[in-house]
Amino acid sequence: MAHITINQYLQQVYEAIDNHEGLFCAELLSFKHPHVANPRLQLASPEEKCQQLLEPPYDEMVAAHLRCTYAVANHDFVEAYKFQTLVVQSFLRAFQSHKEENWALPVMFAVTLDLRIFANNAEQQLQKKGKGQPGEMLEKAAEQLMSCFRVCASDNRAGIEDSKKWGMMFLSNQLFKIYFKINKLHLCKPLIRAIDSSNLKNDYSPAQKVTYKYYVGRKAMFDSDFKLAEEFLSYAFHHCHRSSQKNKRMILIYLLPVKMLLGHMPTHQLLRKYDLMQFADVTKAVGEGNLLLLNEALSKHETFFIRCGIFLILEKLKIITYRNLFKKVYLLLRTHQLPLDAFLVALRMMQVEDVDIDEVQCILANLIYMGHIKGYISHQHQKLVVSKQNPFPPLSSVS
Amino acid sequence: RKGCEMPRGTCQTMCPARELRDREVQNRLHRFEMLAGTERDRRPKGDPLRSVKEYSRPAAGKDLTNSADLRPPAVLLKTVCYLIDDIAAAARGYSFVFDRLRSVKQDMIIQRVSGLHCVAILERTVRFLIYASYRLCGEPLRLYDPRINDTHLQENLSWLLDCYAAGTEPHPNQEEFQALGLLYNLGWSLYLILPDGLRHAPAIKLALSINQAFLERNPVRLLRLAQRLNFLQCCALHRHLVICRRDLLLVFSHGYSSRNCRFPLDRLAQLLSLDTALTIRLCKDYGVGVNQDNQVVFSKAAFTEPEQGKLRCKLYHSIGAPGHPAEEAHFGRLYPGSCPFGHDPKLIATFT
Repeated sequence: MAHITINQYLQQVYEAIDNHEGLFCAELLSFKHPHVANPRLQLASPEEKCQQLLEPPYDEMVAAHLRCTYAVANHDFVEAYKFQTLVVQSFLRAFQSHKEENWALPVMFAVTLDLRIFANNAEQQLQKKGKGQPGEMLEKAAEQLMSCFRVCASDNRAGIEDSKKWGMMFLSNQLFKIYFKINKLHLCKPLIRAIDSSNLKNDYSPAQKVTYKYYVGRKAMFDSDFKLAEEFLSYAFHHCHRSSQKNKRMILIYLLPVKMLLGHMPTHQLLRKYDLMQFADVTKAVGEGNLLLLNEALSKHETFFIRCGIFLILEKLKIITYRNLFKKVYLLLRTHQLPLDAFLVALRMMQVEDVDIDEVQCILANLIYMGHIKGYISHQHQKLVVSKQNPFPPLSSVS
Repeated sequence: RKGCEMPRGTCQTMCPARELRDREVQNRLHRFEMLAGTERDRRPKGDPLRSVKEYSRPAAGKDLTNSADLRPPAVLLKTVCYLIDDIAAAARGYSFVFDRLRSVKQDMIIQRVSGLHCVAILERTVRFLIYASYRLCGEPLRLYDPRINDTHLQENLSWLLDCYAAGTEPHPNQEEFQALGLLYNLGWSLYLILPDGLRHAPAIKLALSINQAFLERNPVRLLRLAQRLNFLQCCALHRHLVICRRDLLLVFSHGYSSRNCRFPLDRLAQLLSLDTALTIRLCKDYGVGVNQDNQVVFSKAAFTEPEQGKLRCKLYHSIGAPGHPAEEAHFGRLYPGSCPFGHDPKLIATFT
């Protein structure tokens, strides 16, 4: 296979299309398959050959694919991206003409996946030369993927078996990857809405569903909808294949902070298993109400947390840490009327230096507002009066 | 391959000769562009030294890459300086300046301008848009649309920050603009990605502390830290202040919710950075009671959100000391009915 001639290759493509063998056809057009390393196929101008053997628009698609292998062999990803775009465009023309059939879905998966990867590589190459706007290539790739998505989403005529709608989730996932990378999360919304309203949403493959829930969970997290984020990310974590440790770790990076905000602390064991010890001190600090340690841990691993995009969420854990610290003050003083000074002393002990009694009151008021403390502040008496029953409700019951 | 070459502008004036001619004939010159003495003519003449290329929407069949119609980077920078120093600072011309800055950006995109010229242009544009977002807040929609201003501001700002990140040369103003980006976009993680050396620069540290106070919902701290900002930084932060003061009243309404408790009004005014009259007004807007002895009665049941559009942000624009002569001098004529604002000696440097 690796060293077949151009004629043999085109013959195979022809038969795969003719017999509607989607999977095999996808292989013949995918850069995951070894044929792309075959120098006999890496041609600078294969157009004529393709025209002889294939019908339009397949001839164009395959010619562009071969030119793409040629570009990749020369490490020219800008060129490769250009031809891959042509592959996707001519594919889409063929795909649209497939009425009430969806055998070509695997082909779509293969060519769109490669398109995104080449856009990524092309962008890196351009950046190195100091050319192009960041995100430009990926945005263009996203437009191509969107046109595929529209074709799939609008396939209302075919029955479930033959529906192109089965392609929607794969494309959404590819688009999510781009939108997260170029920081245009708001563009995810219409995709989520389209999938949500589709009757197939529970029947996609587990792998696609895991990826989908991972991204939708992360989106919910950035929208501060932590309950929803927990639900989606937990699903992704539990259904992710056990051999995909790297993916499970990626899910945990987002699931952990969300869980912590809801009062569930991860065990040391779990952190060790997934090589996420960056969270160890954060967990300990939040649990103990140790603001000092929390600040230290956050600044120590700042780069990691920012790179993962969770620094802001972790900052929110400070509120929980205040709650745990103040609960200790309450347990020490054993009274329901707590002098505000006591909280100030506690904060100063944590080396929160520039804080004064006004800010203490504000922190307490916020904790009361959020339901972490049951009680009220008396400004006249400079005291926090807490409820006799359960003044610090468990975190899981609050958020 | 051919066709991939960037178009390069050759137009040496702020407005391409052809456009000037066309707009003269079509009588579409802005009054800032008319030749002195011809303004009252039936068909005023264009002043080639004061006319500026207008923004035109890309459309099918329209060729935007004609090099005679594109201005090279140095001319673009000169144009921006003219727009901001001569027009924005001296006359009432937001929509004129906004439109012409937009066409500058378009020329930059078509020619893919990058490097120091690009940075200098974007920095000036961002300052102008931030200032406008404060100064024109509350103006009728036909004069100023906050949403469009915001969209452009965000685009220019993120482009600018990308330029900083991409280039290798040092940028003396990077600290200023990273801090402005943080303040304008409180709570956005995108702006936390800072180059190593800058994280501990004073302006950035202050902006990060404010961001943190915002995330912790500690309006007392936020407003207190805001007193240390300079004029333009206040402008950038200003759009968050309505929410911030609302949060303060909301949180206090819950925290101090007890029938027998009172909170002194002057103390609350201090925390809100407002005078007592405005504090009373704000309390009323949110249903917070103030009794005859100037004591605030917080109650979580009483707190209500004001009707949409009823609360006028502009009323509460004061941060720190009122009225500043420099601002009056430079921007007083930009828009009438100027409102008081914090003192900042850097202001003069900011817009010149």
